[in-house]
Amino acid sequence: MTATALEVEVDAPRRGEHPLLGFLVRRTLGALLALFVASILIFVGVELLPGDAASVVLGRNASPAAVQALDRQMHLDSPAPTQYWDWLRGFVHGDLGQSAVGLAQGEKHAPIGPLISGPLKNSAILAIITGLLMIPFSLGFGVLAAVFAGRSADRAISIVSLAAIALPEFVTGALLVTLFFVALNLLPPVALVPPGSTALSDPKELILPVLTLLFASLAAGIRMVRAGMIEVLGADYVQAARLNGVSERRVLWRYGLRNGLAPSVQVLAQNLQYLVGGIIITEAVFAYPGIGTQLVNAVQQRDLTMVQSVAMLIAVVYVLLNLVADVLVVLLVPKLREPA
Amino acid sequence: MQSDESGPNVGPANDDDARLTRGAFLKRGAGGAAALSALPLVMAACGGSSASPATSAASTSSSGPIRRGGQLRVGLVGGGTAETLNPYLAITPIDQARIQNLYDPLVLVNSDMSRSPGLALEWNPNKDATVWEVKLRPDVTFWNGKSFGAQDVIYSIGLMAAKTSAGLPFVSGINLNEMKAVNKHLVRIPLKFPDADLSANFTYYNTWIVQDGEKDFTHPVGTGPFELESFTPGQQSIFKRNPNYWVSGKPYIDSLKYTSISDPTARLNALLSGQIDAMAQLPYQEAKAHQSVGDINVLAAKSPQPYMFYMDTTRAPFSDNNVRQAMRLIADRPALIESAISGYGTIGNDLVGKGLQWFDDSIPQRTQDIEKAKSLLKSAGQQNLSVLLQTSPIFPGFVEAATLLAQQATAAGVKINLKQEPASSYYNPSILYLKMAFAQTQWAVPSIKFFYLQSLAADAPYNETHWHSTSFNNLLFKAIGELDKTKAQQYWNQIQQIQWTQGGYLLWTNADWVDGLSTKVRGLAPSAASALGNYLFRNVWLAT
Repeated sequence: MTATALEVEVDAPRRGEHPLLGFLVRRTLGALLALFVASILIFVGVELLPGDAASVVLGRNASPAAVQALDRQMHLDSPAPTQYWDWLRGFVHGDLGQSAVGLAQGEKHAPIGPLISGPLKNSAILAIITGLLMIPFSLGFGVLAAVFAGRSADRAISIVSLAAIALPEFVTGALLVTLFFVALNLLPPVALVPPGSTALSDPKELILPVLTLLFASLAAGIRMVRAGMIEVLGADYVQAARLNGVSERRVLWRYGLRNGLAPSVQVLAQNLQYLVGGIIITEAVFAYPGIGTQLVNAVQQRDLTMVQSVAMLIAVVYVLLNLVADVLVVLLVPKLREPA
Repeated sequence: MQSDESGPNVGPANDDDARLTRGAFLKRGAGGAAALSALPLVMAACGGSSASPATSAASTSSSGPIRRGGQLRVGLVGGGTAETLNPYLAITPIDQARIQNLYDPLVLVNSDMSRSPGLALEWNPNKDATVWEVKLRPDVTFWNGKSFGAQDVIYSIGLMAAKTSAGLPFVSGINLNEMKAVNKHLVRIPLKFPDADLSANFTYYNTWIVQDGEKDFTHPVGTGPFELESFTPGQQSIFKRNPNYWVSGKPYIDSLKYTSISDPTARLNALLSGQIDAMAQLPYQEAKAHQSVGDINVLAAKSPQPYMFYMDTTRAPFSDNNVRQAMRLIADRPALIESAISGYGTIGNDLVGKGLQWFDDSIPQRTQDIEKAKSLLKSAGQQNLSVLLQTSPIFPGFVEAATLLAQQATAAGVKINLKQEPASSYYNPSILYLKMAFAQTQWAVPSIKFFYLQSLAADAPYNETHWHSTSFNNLLFKAIGELDKTKAQQYWNQIQQIQWTQGGYLLWTNADWVDGLSTKVRGLAPSAASALGNYLFRNVWLAT
């Protein structure tokens, strides 16, 4: 991530342009290119999956004729580039395509949009709540660890956060369930969100999944904020500020955090991205009906269009978050805004 | 106990159960024989009783007065968006659980696999069993008030016979165009070949009856004990009590809720926390642990659900019957049962259908005999036999059983090389299924006839052992068409004798259905027919 920050510095704007605007334009073009490449990779990867939805849905009764009929309905009999282009064009226009499973079951239309809107909303709720908690916690603990660097508070924060990141989510989840359900019987061990409602209607069910995700994602942010802060707090200009009698609090927040934050923004963005795509395991542990579960099901059922579209949606969010992080870094570090 | 219900199964693969049992298995290590000393209670309790398949360690006692009302919440392995309410497309257990409660069968299967009248009251054949007249139950109505009759049966059989229907194997012997409604409650069913036991074809959930003209299976209408209220594939369905159900007084509960929970640990946690009242497919290890703790009730049912290794009888080295017989003698079955499925199974004798009508119990139990296996291999010229076994975590215990068999085989000088295949390809005929020389399988077996027609007849669609024998086939159809029961039993005995001495199946266990219930669930009796007491939730009531 520091690499990305460095890249930003190298990206010097050309003469005559508004520096930030030029930067934005270049970044957006880069993001679009990244998405285009991602779409090709997703399409090719999905194409390589063995098997087909018809065999899954029809079981051993999947006659070659039935499989062929489905292929025709899905336009899978046309050449791959045509299929790719049709899918991408639809996606860009907001049409996520048709579910192969629905068509194989004999439905005339089985648009993917309505099938994934519920799970998408559920996952968004989980990711947003975790994200809202993750950022202040990362900053708070990171600054705390930096201020007390080398002392017991710092060590405690480091040990706990490193232990948390070392554990895979299914272990963290199981430990939390053991503690809060088996031992204390305080919180429900699964989040059975009924269709048509969201987890917000029973917030208790959200606590353990959110905690699991927090444990998995906090450590990197804390470490990064801590490192950035320690570096900045030892810098000459901070010393100078202190010697000039600026209050310690002002030194910390005005001089320290703002300058120490730049590399951390990238890490925090990366953690948010992880929350979008990487919550599959947490969803499985808590039976949470989100987009990760949907994606796993789609892969197992060889619902290829659904896999493509869901994967592409996740890619879009990834790239968007990256873009926002880059812009934030530029806003945070004034010298990146000036022409070289 | 994974996707248990559709013959060799093609449901979405879920291998979590398998992974869970794996650790415990590995801990036990190579000590297959040592494990014998720790046979669990269930095995001990039923080791001797081969006649009744439905003995069980379950404790869902129906003591106390029946209490009406309430909602039963059940957690089942989900099938994603492929979940359906269409009985003829259904191939996963959660679909089966819904079909069992929305629609009715012509024939009810009892907990010991015997049959009682369902929507059909009588089955009367002509002299050579080529035409059957089926008398239907009067006074049955669909939820929409329409009364049930012969046209509904004819229409349903037509749907079963569709090319894409999972019900096709059960009705492929019926002359569809000549079916006739003799009157409102009498159907005439002409057959392509004699069948002395037609009702056995209507014991599987892909043959349940829908209303004449039914097209919209997102909002179907049935005659079953529960009416559809809502259904979201891959997530949840809610049914409400059918107040006009033809079994008087039932069901007792007001509503029934299914939730798709694919992860077995999450399913168990939901049960333990009281978020659901019943769960299907309790992992074997967990069942053992909770059976002793007693915090939930373990519903374990003996069943004719075979777990088998199979050998392609047309490919070397298995084309030599000496090799096939040797492999069958190498297996230490009790050790396999104990290690791979924690003892939740009865010993297999290489013949499918234990506990079902026509099963030959007089054939001696095959046990491990390394010396005999060695001498058979010697006469086949295969003293240093090395074979490839393709395994898959598609059912819990499969990979464990394959690993253990490979260890057992070394005693006879046989090297079994294991290759683990992805669960999603294992039953896919365009990738692996029916192309493997030595592999594993599971079947749901509603009747012995069904299994033989599907896997060992001349045109059997799922001929895993590639068994081709004209004389065997003739004998099979003689047995199927014979109305004289003594004669029929003789034919069936001959058929099973042939399979026992020459077949390509190594059937090491008939695995139990193992499910979990909260202590307040009453009235659900373990059933050999399927998981969760054959999903007969019309009998369930909830204690306070």
